[in-house]
Amino acid sequence: MTDTQDRQRSGLGFVGQRVKRVEDERFLRGAGTYVADVQPDGVLHAAFLRSPYPHATINSINVNKASRLDGVAKVFTGAELNDVTNPFLPFFMLEGLYTPLYKCMSDDKVRHVGDVVALVVAESRYIAEDALELIDVDYTELPSIASIDDALTPGRVQLWDKANGNVLGDIDASYGNVDEIFAKADHVITRTLDCPRQTNQPMETRGTVVEVDPQTGHLDIHNTSQAPHMLKWATAALLVNEGGFKNLGKFVKNAERRSAFLGAAKSFVTTNKEKLKASDPAGQKSQFEKDKSMVKHQMRMASGLLAADDYPTVKAVDIGGAFGSKGPVTREDIAVAAAAKQLGRSVQWIEDRVENLQDGGQAREERFDVSIAVDADGTLRGMKVDAYLDQGAYPAFPISSAIIPQLWKLYMPGPYNFEAFELNTKVLATNKGRVVPYRGPWANETFMRERMLDIVAGELGMSPADLRAKNVMREGSMPDAFITGPSIDETMSVAKTLDRALEMIDFDQLEEDKAAAEARGHKLGLGIASYHEAAPGPPNFFSSAQPGSDMFLYEDGRAEVEADGSIKMYTSQSPHGQSHQTTYMQVAADELGVPMEDVEIVWGNTDRTQFSFLGTGGSRGGPLGAGVMRMTAREVRNQVVEVAADMLEAASGDIEIVDGNIHVAGVPAKGITYADVAAKVATDKRISSGAVFSEEMKYEGVGNGGWSVATHVAWVDIDLETGMVEIPRYLVVEDCGPIINPGVVDGQVRGGVAQGIGAVFYEKHHYDDNANLLSATYMDYLIPTAMEIPEIDIEHMETLTSGENDARGTGEGGMIGAPAALTNAVSDALGVEVHEQYLPPYRLLELAGVITPD
Amino acid sequence: MKNPPFTYHRPTTVDEALALLAEFGDDGKVLAGGQSLLPVMALRLGSPEHIIDIGSIDELATITVGDGVTIGAMVRHAEAEKSADIASQAPLIAAAMPYVGHRAIRSRGTVVGSIAHADGAAEMPAVCLATGATMSIASADGTREVAAADFFQGFFTTALEANELLTAVHFPAWSPTAGGSVVEIARRHGDYAMCGLACSIDVPNGTITEAALSFFSVAGQPIRVAEAEQALIGKPATESSFADAATVVAEHLDPTGDIHATANYRRQLATVLTRRGLAEAASRIGVPA
Ligand SMILES: Cc1cc2nc3c(=O)[nH]c(=O)nc-3n(C[C@H](O)[C@H](O)[C@H](O)COP(=O)(O)OP(=O)(O)OC[C@H]3O[C@@H](n4cnc5c(N)ncnc54)[C@H](O)[C@@H]3O)c2cc1C
Repeated sequence: MTDTQDRQRSGLGFVGQRVKRVEDERFLRGAGTYVADVQPDGVLHAAFLRSPYPHATINSINVNKASRLDGVAKVFTGAELNDVTNPFLPFFMLEGLYTPLYKCMSDDKVRHVGDVVALVVAESRYIAEDALELIDVDYTELPSIASIDDALTPGRVQLWDKANGNVLGDIDASYGNVDEIFAKADHVITRTLDCPRQTNQPMETRGTVVEVDPQTGHLDIHNTSQAPHMLKWATAALLVNEGGFKNLGKFVKNAERRSAFLGAAKSFVTTNKEKLKASDPAGQKSQFEKDKSMVKHQMRMASGLLAADDYPTVKAVDIGGAFGSKGPVTREDIAVAAAAKQLGRSVQWIEDRVENLQDGGQAREERFDVSIAVDADGTLRGMKVDAYLDQGAYPAFPISSAIIPQLWKLYMPGPYNFEAFELNTKVLATNKGRVVPYRGPWANETFMRERMLDIVAGELGMSPADLRAKNVMREGSMPDAFITGPSIDETMSVAKTLDRALEMIDFDQLEEDKAAAEARGHKLGLGIASYHEAAPGPPNFFSSAQPGSDMFLYEDGRAEVEADGSIKMYTSQSPHGQSHQTTYMQVAADELGVPMEDVEIVWGNTDRTQFSFLGTGGSRGGPLGAGVMRMTAREVRNQVVEVAADMLEAASGDIEIVDGNIHVAGVPAKGITYADVAAKVATDKRISSGAVFSEEMKYEGVGNGGWSVATHVAWVDIDLETGMVEIPRYLVVEDCGPIINPGVVDGQVRGGVAQGIGAVFYEKHHYDDNANLLSATYMDYLIPTAMEIPEIDIEHMETLTSGENDARGTGEGGMIGAPAALTNAVSDALGVEVHEQYLPPYRLLELAGVITPD
Repeated sequence: MKNPPFTYHRPTTVDEALALLAEFGDDGKVLAGGQSLLPVMALRLGSPEHIIDIGSIDELATITVGDGVTIGAMVRHAEAEKSADIASQAPLIAAAMPYVGHRAIRSRGTVVGSIAHADGAAEMPAVCLATGATMSIASADGTREVAAADFFQGFFTTALEANELLTAVHFPAWSPTAGGSVVEIARRHGDYAMCGLACSIDVPNGTITEAALSFFSVAGQPIRVAEAEQALIGKPATESSFADAATVVAEHLDPTGDIHATANYRRQLATVLTRRGLAEAASRIGVPA
């Protein structure tokens, strides 16, 4: 066992402690640096003209009056901005899926309420919005595609001319002998389950402040991005430099850039040779056959990347939440950068809540036609699912929501011993806002499966708890891999959480409580849901879905000791509420033997941190992000110890570092400090600043990478007169491995459960039958507040493995388990099958038979 | 979400305010607590050219007792909430206050502003209708009084003309033998109700002599259900009388549906609230229900 693990397990050091968050001081005092806090001198303010229609052609646009308004710097029509930007061409395409190419602004057609049509840049946001009212757009309304059913109906108006109807494609997968299993099983139980649209709602909306250096033209982009490096590269690729292939000539002439770029490309190709071969180039090919212009655009983007004189710097300091919505690069990001570049002046756009509700990121509108094959004794045999995913109008860039079925493929059978599984997903285009990943983007598979398990149990006359306990994968008889491909190890401990949860439920008490509720005219019910989550998953996780796609799954980091002895840890993660700063300080401080406050965490600045495709996302911050902090800090410590050993005339093996005191074991009084050691190296090297010790690493995790798992139990009390719900108890039994900071894990779990409570009882993004947005303000899109969220009991089970950095991600799980547990509880309470995720009070009374639908 | 430009006026007397209203007519708008007007302007649903802020008119910030209670136009919800005079003279207002938005909103928003705004989902218009309040309206041309029943005319629509100021609202004396309550069901704490009821019964000697059932958030304006009120008169204040009244409510109320509540659901809530509201009203006067 290593030193770190020793300390981790014995509770010494900072790791494992409920350390107070260092971020809170500045956040609670209003001293954080959110994007609107960045105010460059003379910055101009942008506002977008957005479509009031779900679907319409643009006949003409007149900006004359708006341009003449006092204080307006420039009104850009869509066409003007499209001239200086490249179309958004997705980086990842899937075989058989049409991924439309779209422009930075809409200049011929609008496809959803809030679609961007023009951009005003003015001295204030007030003036910019005044100018919006003076722009004249002549639209012809088109019929719209407002729902999954609309999109599936042939012969309707089409969002994308080159697609085949509004079904953009199928994503299918099959494992095991489905037909045989279904033929042989005692029962096949079939239902349709519906999930409504939601929207990720961070406290801070999107925003970008593009600062232009008047001398060099260099862009500093202060942005709310979860993936700053992605934004940097996308901006370079999407802003047209001089256009066309001229750029290539320029690139070829620039020897320095040429060798840097080709060197990087060559090393990427050699390290990923096998993965690239496997990564389905056919997907792209079939796309390019559908839309020949894509080839040209890909070349334009590539030439933009190659020949840009200068890549922007992206800076993301404090971000007020995202829940996945700020990973994609958006049209507004590029439009504002293009406008700033054209004007040669700094421009800022701070999205307001109305814009955010229209197109800040939406999620989860999905339908599942599911059949489960099961034997009379409750043995689960097979699962077949036809799934429908409403992607909205414009696919997220650079990774569209079609990534979701790729994850469903792997997750749907869950932690149970199904022998066969088949999934057919249709990805649909509708006239609604853009679908983005939302905390556990695949989560509806857990809702679908766990809801179905209760339905199956009901059909068989079994208790839902018994059905789960019978079929859950258990240690001892656990297969080496899921039927869907990913390997399984001891961290897939769902059975342990389920057993523990069942121990913690007092079923006798439950019966008494149910009777007491009934006496008050209420109904009480209990619901259980279990799931496993790749956090970050075994090494073959992503390649099980899409060969080659694991090539981006590592995390970069760097540790440095500077000449003055200060310690800096560089991460490519982009924290937005997950407490990276605190937990990374804990991890690094333990490795380096210093107080936490001696460690500075550096993030979010693309000039200072290493490239990362994803930034923060996919529950990687704990396992990989903290892992690379740990490993690089350990290496730097070793380097420091080597020099210190010389200085102390001792063997390096005898050196200890405690509380920043570097000394020979047993002689703490004769210690030296990091500053002393750094000063010595600096003197030797004749430098006075910069790094004297440094370690940089690409960390892919170790061992099997690991699963994060949980079982949720919800108690729900429903007033049968009003449909009002109380949650008298909520229990989460979770296992995310050894915990770096229990306070942070609890916070992540509770926040996730709160969003799950929102999903079931409060939050639905309503569009009407013509795709007009009805929940257009917070009067109608209801997010639960502290008043609606109950106490949440959390039981931690910390399954350890032999891995070095065994912390597993826990940011998404709360949201994954809650909708299933809550709807199961409602079903138990009312004694009816629930087939939908959204259950407002009126719907509960309809289900209870108290009222009829209008 | 930034408001359009406007010219700001801050009169310190009612006369000055009335002169400004006379001058600007349809282009002017009174600003009281701003909790409804400012969001409307930020969303650019309204763009008045002149804003007449009555916040500095001290004579409007008064609560006067006399044959009931008169509440001036600049009395904030928060002051009404803690006023002992209002609690004794107009208990329905006190009962309504905790439901009006959140504390921060009640610190700025005004009782009379809420009445002038006339949101069909708001508590105060229903309280006015239940209690038979009288509106004191002034303009440069003079003053007039309008009964609550004539004041509320539909979706955000009242008897107020563009040049008029609602200076105060008078709530008649509360009978010592009357009990009242405000009950509502909202989706979240502090939200506008999906359905609410301001009600009262007067039970001087065992039977109900007067009843008011004033529903909010069922239509564009508060609605009294006269048939159900009638059904209570002469009855004892018992659960079964209240249940009968609830049945009549269900027959006569024709609520609207929206994304938060279907029409049938609102009707269900109205019947439940009738029973719950009347029982609470009865308990206030110690009548065994
Ligand atoms: C988040 C939120 C939640 C809320 N929830 C509730 C709720 O649950 N229940 C509820 O009842 N209200 C609620 N409100 C509204 C709040 O109570 C407002 O304060 C009230 O509706 C209006 O009062 P005001 O003083 O703010 O008026 P203002 O916003 O200043 O004015 C509103 C309108 O009335 C006119 N007006 C105001 N005073 C006069 C006058 N003396 N003469 C003529 N015209 C006048 C104005 O010109 C304007 O058109 C909520 C508000 C918010 C922001």
